[in-house]
Amino acid sequence: MDWLEQELKSALARKEPPPEFAEGVAKALDGVLPDAASGPRRNLVAWPSRTARRWLAAAAAILLMVGGGAGYRWHQGVEAKRQVMLAFHIAGGRLNHLRTHLKEVSQ
Amino acid sequence: MKLARALTLAAAASAVLFAQQFKFNLDHLAAKASDTVDVSLSGPLLQLGARFLDSHDPDEAKVKKMIAGIEGIYVRHFEFKQEGAWTAGDLEGVRSQLKAPDWQRIVGWKSAEDGETAEVYLRLEGSKMTGVAILAAQPKAFTVVNIAGPVDLDALSQLGGHFGVPKVKPDTPKQKK
Repeated sequence: MDWLEQELKSALARKEPPPEFAEGVAKALDGVLPDAASGPRRNLVAWPSRTARRWLAAAAAILLMVGGGAGYRWHQGVEAKRQVMLAFHIAGGRLNHLRTHLKEVSQ
Repeated sequence: MKLARALTLAAAASAVLFAQQFKFNLDHLAAKASDTVDVSLSGPLLQLGARFLDSHDPDEAKVKKMIAGIEGIYVRHFEFKQEGAWTAGDLEGVRSQLKAPDWQRIVGWKSAEDGETAEVYLRLEGSKMTGVAILAAQPKAFTVVNIAGPVDLDALSQLGGHFGVPKVKPDTPKQKK
């Protein structure tokens, strides 16, 4: 074994850190690393509880039903209005046609 | 439960039949027609339609005013590509229901030359008008209207030339194709 091998062996040999090393590292990291409760991966808004989620789902379903019902009612109203106007247009048109004929005859 | 459902359906059906004051029986013409209009509006649907009419629009405002007192409006209008699609029997089928004492014909017009017929009937209860029937037939068109309830015929006639279309004028020989 030559001197180079010996140097390498001594450089790579496991050495125990000094007793104050762990404390020093902890002190250095203190204030840099967040604690577990406010970790960076935690959501800004807390995820609602299971009960709250159920209420939210129920509210969304009711909102959807009410909205759908109102939409259908609106569609029905527009269609009814279209039919009313069409019916009066036809009835008025026939009546107007008849009146024009009668005016011609009377003249 | 089934009985209640059946009674509800029967009540709904009778309400529709009750509002319409005579039967049209013209379904067979629909197969021959190139254009068909079938309007049956009564009760809540009619009132719903009325709520959607714009009071600021002159035509819609007039219709809204007329709807206020009526129970229903029923229209069957057929247009045909060729003449002879409807028969005198179709006309008579409707006309035969419009008899006194319920119905009174207030005006009738017939042109043998043009093959046109138009009649207007009023349904009267005492001195109160409770319905109008319009029967109009042209060689290529057939129309039956029933308005259940009182209606101002002058105002209705004025609507004939509105809705963005010119007032209907009788065909002259030059206009015929």
